[in-house]
Formats: sequence, C-alpha cells, structure tokens
Amino acid sequence: MIPAEFEYQAPKTLDEALRALGRHGDEAKILAGGHSLLPMMKLRLASPRYVVDIGRIRGMDYIREERDKIAIGALVTHAQVTTSELLRAKCPLLPETASEIGDMQVRNRGTIGGSIAHADPAADYPASILALDAEMVVQSSSGKRTIPAADFFVDLLTTQIRPGEILTEVRVPVKRAGEGTAYKKFHQPASGFAIVGAAARVIASKAGQIEDVALGMTGVGSKAYRATAVEKSLRGKTASESLIAEACGKAAQGIDPLADIFASAEYRREMASVFARRAIISALEKAMGRASSPSKGAAPGKTK
Amino acid sequence: MAKDTNGYNIIGKPMAMTDARAKVTGLGKYADDLSVPGMLIGKILHSPHAHARIRSIDTSQAEALAGVKVTATGEDARNPYGILPIGHDERAFALGKALYIGDNIAAVAATTPEVAERALDLIRVDYEQLPGWFDPEESMKASSNWINEERPQNIEKEYHHVFGDPEKGFGEADFIAEERYYAGEVNQAAMEPHATLAVWEPDNRLTVHSSTQVPFYLHRTIAAVCEMPMSQIRVIKPLIGGGFGGKSEIIPLEVAACVLAKKARKPVKITYTREEVFLAHRGRPITIVYLKVGLSRAGKITAVQARVIQDGGAYCGYGPVTVLYSGALLGAIYDIANVQYDGFRVLTNKPACGAMRGHGTVNVRFAFESILDQLSHQAGLDPLEVRRRNLLKAPCITANSLRVTSYGLPECIEKVFERSGWAEKKGNLPYGKGVGMACSHYVSGAANPIIRSNMPHTTVHIKIDRDAAVTVYTGASEIGQGSDTMQVQIAAEILGVSTDRIKLVAADTELTPIDLGSYSSRVTFMAGNACLNAAKDMRDQIVAAVARKFGCAADDFEVKDGRISHKSDAGKSLSFDEAVTVALEFHGALVARGTYAPPETARGGKFKGAGVGPSPAYSYSAQVAEVTVDPETGQVRVDKIVAAHDCGKALNPLTVEGQIEGSVYMGFGQALQEDMIWKDGRLMNPSLLEYRIPATKENPEIESIIVESIDPEGPFGAKEAGEGSLAATIPAIANAIFDAVGVRINSTPITPDKILDALREKQKLASGNGANAANKPVAAGGRL
Ligand SMILES: Cc1cc2nc3c(=O)[nH]c(=O)nc-3n(C[C@H](O)[C@H](O)[C@H](O)COP(=O)(O)OP(=O)(O)OC[C@H]3O[C@@H](n4cnc5c(N)ncnc54)[C@H](O)[C@@H]3O)c2cc1C
Repeated sequence: MIPAEFEYQAPKTLDEALRALGRHGDEAKILAGGHSLLPMMKLRLASPRYVVDIGRIRGMDYIREERDKIAIGALVTHAQVTTSELLRAKCPLLPETASEIGDMQVRNRGTIGGSIAHADPAADYPASILALDAEMVVQSSSGKRTIPAADFFVDLLTTQIRPGEILTEVRVPVKRAGEGTAYKKFHQPASGFAIVGAAARVIASKAGQIEDVALGMTGVGSKAYRATAVEKSLRGKTASESLIAEACGKAAQGIDPLADIFASAEYRREMASVFARRAIISALEKAMGRASSPSKGAAPGKTK
Repeated sequence: MAKDTNGYNIIGKPMAMTDARAKVTGLGKYADDLSVPGMLIGKILHSPHAHARIRSIDTSQAEALAGVKVTATGEDARNPYGILPIGHDERAFALGKALYIGDNIAAVAATTPEVAERALDLIRVDYEQLPGWFDPEESMKASSNWINEERPQNIEKEYHHVFGDPEKGFGEADFIAEERYYAGEVNQAAMEPHATLAVWEPDNRLTVHSSTQVPFYLHRTIAAVCEMPMSQIRVIKPLIGGGFGGKSEIIPLEVAACVLAKKARKPVKITYTREEVFLAHRGRPITIVYLKVGLSRAGKITAVQARVIQDGGAYCGYGPVTVLYSGALLGAIYDIANVQYDGFRVLTNKPACGAMRGHGTVNVRFAFESILDQLSHQAGLDPLEVRRRNLLKAPCITANSLRVTSYGLPECIEKVFERSGWAEKKGNLPYGKGVGMACSHYVSGAANPIIRSNMPHTTVHIKIDRDAAVTVYTGASEIGQGSDTMQVQIAAEILGVSTDRIKLVAADTELTPIDLGSYSSRVTFMAGNACLNAAKDMRDQIVAAVARKFGCAADDFEVKDGRISHKSDAGKSLSFDEAVTVALEFHGALVARGTYAPPETARGGKFKGAGVGPSPAYSYSAQVAEVTVDPETGQVRVDKIVAAHDCGKALNPLTVEGQIEGSVYMGFGQALQEDMIWKDGRLMNPSLLEYRIPATKENPEIESIIVESIDPEGPFGAKEAGEGSLAATIPAIANAIFDAVGVRINSTPITPDKILDALREKQKLASGNGANAANKPVAAGGRL
C-alpha cells in the first residue's frame, strides 16, 4: 500500500528536531533508519501527520569510551555496531547481537536508537540491552534524562520515551575481568527477526564458580525481559551441565509467550529454554577462558 | 568452431541466454517498465469477505474524485471466462457473489496511483455475508450454500480410475503401508509481480502488453470478455520475470486493464502489489493424499491406491487438469500394474489455485516417495535398491496408456548413488545427520491441447532477406526458462551460421504464429521441433538454389561453418551471404515454416480423463538429499542435494543446470518453509517478509548431473528440463530427515515444531514400551 499523506521535515540539528517534535506532539513520528517505521506506514499501521527525519543530524553516530562506559549515539547503524573495534574489544555482546539482525540492507540502514525506541517484541537489541544493564539517554526541549534498561521497556512497541523526546544515546558498561557474553538466536525464517533470542552475561571463575549472571530474553513475550528465575538458580553456584539445563527450564517462567503463524506459545516456551541454555553455556565458556561454544548444528557425538 | 562428439557446432554447448545482458543491466523492459503517453493507472477493489452476496455497488463518489477517469464493475463485462473450456466461471469482476477475500469487485482508472487508491476507498459495496468453506474435506460434504450453484457439494470435478487389479495386487503384497499426507499451499512468488498495460489505440484496436506465459489464451479471452474480434486485438509478451505457472492462465488484472482501457478509450496499466499476487494466487493447492501401497518381499510394488483431495479455491482454473495429472503421473514412473486413483477437486472460499511448476505431480510424488521409503524400511530393503527393482522396461506403454519412448531414470539413480556416497552414508551417519532419496518425472508438453483441435500446437516462421539476417518468428513465450535461446541455437545449428546472425521475434500475436504457451514444459519439445522443421525448410530452399546454380543435386551439398559447400568438390562453395543472394534470385522471397503436433500414438488412452498425462516424452529425475537435524529445536539444514535429471539431449547445458538448480530450490522451499497460512479464508502471510522463499542464505549446495537419454522424437533428442526435478526434492529431504532422527513427517512444510512433536511422540512410545529409546537416541544436548 501507499502510506497515508504526511508532511516530511528534516531538521539539521538536535535542537531543531526537538522544537519540531515539541510543536507537533503525538502527531509526529521520528524517522531514523526507517526500517520499522516505513513498513508500518505502508501497512497503514502508522499514519503520522508529521515525519521528522533525524537522519541528517550530525554528530549522533559516535561510539566512544567514557570511563567505564561506552557511549553509542542513537544514529549508529547495526552495521557500525557489528564492525566497531571498540565494541568488539570491550562490549562484544552488542556487535554479536547486531550481526544477527535482519540482512545486510537492514543492518546498513537500521539504527540502534530506532530499534530500541521501536521495542519490537522480536527485536534483538533489547535482550542484550537488558543483559548489559545499559542506560538510555533521552532528550526533550525541556532537558535530558537517563533511563535504566530495567525500566525502559514497558510493553509491546512501548517504552518510557514520551512524545517530544528523542533517544540520543545508549550507554553500555565495559566488559569486566572474568566476564563472558553470548547472544543465541532462533531466526524467524522469513523476516530474520527473533522467534527467541537469548543474551547472556556471565561472570565466573576459571573453575566455573558463577559470581554473577544476567539473561535477557527477546521474542518470547510481548516485551523483552530479564529471566530472573534462571539468574537466581545460577548465581553463586558452580556450573554444571545439569544445573544449567534445569535453571534454563525457567527461561519463560511467568511469561505469557506470544503465538503467531511461525511459532506457537508452547514452542516458544520450549525454545526459550534451549536458547537460554545455549547462550549461558557459551557465555560461561568464554568467562572461564575456554574455547568458543559448541557448533550450532546437530547434537554432537551420538551414533545410531 | 569446435565440434562435439555428435558433430554439432552449437547444440549441446553452454550458451548464455540471449536476454541475459538486458536483464542483468536492468535495461530490459518488463510490463511494468512500459509507459505510453496519456496512460492511466488502474487499481482493483478486492472483496474483504470470503463469501458474500453483493447487494449493491456505488461508484459515484469515486467517479467524482478529481483524476478518476472511469470505474468498472461486473456489469461492464458480463461474459465468463476460464482457461479450460469446461471451467468458464470467472468474470472481470464479481457478479452477484464474492467468493474469496481478494475477489475482484470493481476497478478504477485514474491519472496517478495515489488518486486511484483513494478512489477505491470511495467505492461503497453493500455485502450480505455468507458462511464460508475453508477446509476441503468439510467443503465436499456441503449440502447447501454452495460456492458455485452449478457445482453441487462444492466438488469441481472428480475422477475415478482403476488399472489392472489393485485388490489382487494388495493380496500379493508382503508389506502394506497406509498413510495420510498433507501438503500445504505454496505460491510461485515469481520475482516479477504481474503487470498489464492495455492500450486503446486511436483506430479502436486494443494492444495488450502483459506478463503472461500464454499470450494466445489471453488473446482469446480478451476477445470474449471485451466482445471484440480477435483480429482487433494484439497481445505482446514483454520480458517476464518468472512464471512457474503463475502466469499460465488469465489473471484478473489482465481483463480488468482491458475493460478499463476500452471504457476509458485510453491506455491503462495495472501492476499488482505483492499482496495482490498472493490474492490472485494460481499456486499449488493444499493436497490431501490417502495413500496405500503394497510391496512384495522381493521389493516389487504390487498395488497402489490413492485418494487425492485438492483444495482448489473458489474458481475452476486448471483444477480438473491438476487433479488428473496427480493420478496420471502417480504410478507411471515405475512399473506398476495395479493402480486405483480417486481424485477430487474441491471448491473453497480462497483464491483459485493453478498450474504451478510440476503441475499436479509434486504433492502426490511427496506422498508416494515417502511411503516407498517407509515400505523399504519395513521390508528391510535399501530404498534406492527398491527403486531399481521397479523400473519400467522402456520403450513401453504404462498401465494407464502413457507411451514412454526414452527412460533415463535408471542412469539417474546410478549417478546419484555414486555421487552422493549413498552406500557409505545411508544408515551410517551420526544421529542428527541423514541421507534420503527420491525420484520424479514430468511431461514434455501435453499431447492433447487444452482446446481440442487438429491444428498444430506450435508454428515457427523464418525469414531471410538481403541483409542475410535470419529472423525467427515464434509464438513461444520466453519466461526466463530459455525459450528464445533454445530456438536461436536450433536455427543456427541447422543453417550452419553463428547465433549472432539469428534475430528472434517472439510472442506477439500480430507478428508471430501461434504457440499454445509456456506451460507443461512443452516449449523445447514442441516449439523446438517446429523451429527445427522451419530451419530445415529454410536450409533446403537455400541448398536447392545453390545446387541449381552449380548444376548439381541438392544432396551433394552440406551446410556448415557459415558456408554451403559441395561435399566432394571444394571449388563449389558459397558463403552464407552469397548463398542467400543466389536463393533470393531463385525463390524471390525466402520464407520458411515449421509446425509441430504430437503423434497420434502419444495421445493416450480412451477412458474419461485420459487426455491429461499423455506427452510425447517424459523427463526423469533422481535425487539424494543430505541433512542435519537439530533434535533440540527441530531445525533442519539441508547440506547437499545431488540431483540427476534426464532431459534427453541437453541443448544448452548451462540452462539445463539452471533449471535443475531452480527446481531443487523451489522444492526445498516447499519442503521446509513455504506455506500460505490461512485463517477463515484470510491469508496471514501475503508478503515476502512473512512467506519465505529460499535465498542464498539457506539454499543447499546442489550438484546437478545431466543424463542424456536421447529421445527419438525430441529436437536433437531433447526433452523437458524445467519442472521434473522439483518433485523429488521434497520427499528426498523428508526421507533424509527420517534417516537423521528416525521420524517421518507426512506434511509440508516440515517445520521445526512438527519434528519436535514427532520426536517427543517417538520417545513416549519408546519409553511406554519399556524399550530403551529405540535405535536412535534423542541427544541430551550441549556439553560443558
Ligand atoms: C526485512 C527486515 C528484517 C528485519 N530483521 C530484524 C531482526 O532480525 N532483528 C531486529 O532486531 N530488527 C530487525 N528489523 C528491524 C530493523 O532492525 C530496524 O532498523 C529497527 O527496528 C528500527 O530502526 P530504524 O533506525 O530503522 O528506525 P525507524 O524505522 O526509523 O523508527 C522506528 C521507530 O522508532 C522511532 N525512533 C527512531 N529513532 C528514534 C530515536 N532516536 N528516538 C526516539 N524514537 C525513535 C520512530 O519514530 C519509529 O516509531 C528488520 C527490518 C526489516 C525491514
């Protein structure tokens, strides 16, 4: 379909953009990479009166280290995240996650700000944002505030961002010693979105003593969440295959899984456990300083 | 020029397609690329209801909108049409009832697409909703509220065939398997969405440029719908971005564009959105197969019984042909004496299905090759060996009167046996990995035309004038399969000139003679033969003139390497250009023609429905798939497919390989991921973001092997290459999954959740029996 009529504005500065948004209130939509907004407009699921394109604002696509944090401008594309040497060295979970998003075209256009602000229940970043305890910096004409990841995602396509606000920056912590991270994803075969995505961050001793663990899940429910039941079962324990398997059985505990044409609620729940386990094991192995995770393919070793 | 072992210069050599450059540079023109001055844009209003009586339609508001030139409804074109003479049940726009979500209700032609779309919103339709029929097995029990009052019980057509003595055959079986198979609905998803530009000419003629595989049938249909003589209508097929049967009958936008153009007296173009492509559909129907097969201890198939139900959607389309193909080609690949077939084509309130690649054969082949694998295991025999033991002894006539003249299946089987490492791999790979094999076959064109007549199925004209360029005029429709290139090759080979000298004019009803269309893999065999005959006619005319000039007999001359030369007297030789001058002096004009009609002996038996299935020749395929199954998620990765295809003589090995690979990809898509998902008649995934066709990302490695069983009647021995390989891919993958994890999935697509459910079921059974988890343990998963 052809989108409904709208007025297009392309401010050159953040201030200009904030003023435009202030004027138009909830009649305006921000346009970043357009890879979520334009499909919605074509399907007429969104018919904004004003489209404010923030893509021409300079200086919003940085990735820089600021003490123990890495600050990422909202206009940084998925491709930039994937290839950032800084992130690969100091926060490898984010590049690993970004590399799993959609296809090359989507990664070249889509932005981290757009993805997080959009809060698609099957988007990849939210799982990692949660596992990393990242912070979102949002600005409006009346000022700036910082929202912790734990509070950020409210519901399906809904975040703490208010009309008139722009998400300007995402802040993620620099990797600690003894920390391993991994993102494991079940791709929806057509769109590439996550049927289930599990982002794990594990801090463990070489002997496998788990000091801390964070597990962000996406795709399963109406919003991304932290699988606290899994975390609780693992924190402070010595890792074993059976312990992890049992803990990850709770990956969708308390969640009402989504059901759609590709996966039933039951299947999603089951896959949540499988991918949570794969992510935890992979992160743990890295934390313990072992070789990378087992292969993606068939279960190894068994013969007929 | 180098010669191959057959002494051909061009035939049998890889050659890039003649339109390749235009396509890859983007300079080629598809229907939607065309535009003419004053052109309007047409848009169609589709029914939002699956089954509804139309009480009234009010287009006045839409007509009042600035920029709208005309609107049209069912009243503007009442004549019914359909691809089959027995199925004229479609109209330009619904009259009385809307039969599916997406049915065509009205249309507008406006100056811009935006205006046209806004105008659609202004058309008021008063519907009275009726209960809909969505499940074919429910639909065929209907006692009232029929979709088409002339089709009681919503059955479009049924056929019942018995060959040999099935009861006796089952009596002789040592093993009998009985299963229900279900194949989901798939769409061609051709890269080019349908588009039609209908130009109302100043002299009140109509020129139609359309993305069609069947310009000739389109020509007839427009004449009937627009009530114009065919002589006033010209149909031109531009470049086509894939058809696969989705453009092999008349598609609603084609008639809608013509009706609007005639009413507006202006050019009108309509291009479907991807969603509209899915709503116009004509893909492969949901097919339910109840199949029973008997096998002797020695591995001989003793009897086959099949009950096939096809969910045809709301209109007839090719339906009766589809359901007949399912029966006709079910057993005929092997030597099976006893076959019972009961086929039902059922109407439901969904878009009409059509003649998708492998027409009618694919879903029954999935069932048949799956059950054969299952029976082989039951009998403790290697499934590949079982195929060897059931081969036809060609040349022969099958139980259902199909004439088999060339039969490369045995060689196909041996080739994939060797190249796949079958002997080492089958049953010996680790848990989660497996191999499976299957065979398939297909017609090289239908021996009987859709509209019965004694006219040729195809005609080719060739003209040469003073520039010594050879122009081939052919009705055959290039749709990406290589039709044009194939005829260029044939003409060049026979006339002894390079392919550069050949100019091909195709599929334009004003310029080219008739060809029935690009469907049922008929073009190489039929248009190829017609082109061969025309080229020989031309060659003979030129040679006759040259021979006369030298005062010799025509037989003394040969045509090769751009010269016409005396076989034993080197002094008597002319270049092609010189020979053309001599021939023009002698004949005045150089015009040649060739036709093709299948021989009487190829046209099949005499029983009801015997007309569908017979072909002048059949292609064969054997395949081995190797897969990896993740038993924790049920995800399948196809690692490799080895496919051997018997296409008779491979006129152009490059395009034959392309066709084998394309067929395998398409089968792979249907096997694992493609599925049109319906909810009460509403398509839930009408976009390529939700309906996944295979892309390079997941496509398996394919090793394609060409087998050449030179056919006695094909042009240079050629048969079909474009469809026959598709059907084997699906059961080969299904059988490989069984080899990998020990479960059989009898429905497509084989999605991860189905595998997981089956594994769980199997585990339950195994532990229920107290046995220790069968011979294939379910793996415990990751390690630390
Ligand atoms: C074919 C396809 C496949 C995809 N596959 C995946 C996938 O596998 N995984 C995945 O995670 N995503 C996937 N996506 C989505 C993709 O990652 C999008 O790019 C992303 O979700 C949105 O980013 P954007 O920059 O394109 O945002 P836009 O589409 O421009 O905007 C999205 C929404 O966020 C708002 N917005 C944008 N920027 C800001 C900001 N700075 N502050 C406040 N609000 C803002 C907009 O108003 C809009 O509501 C896919 C998209 C496509 C088209």
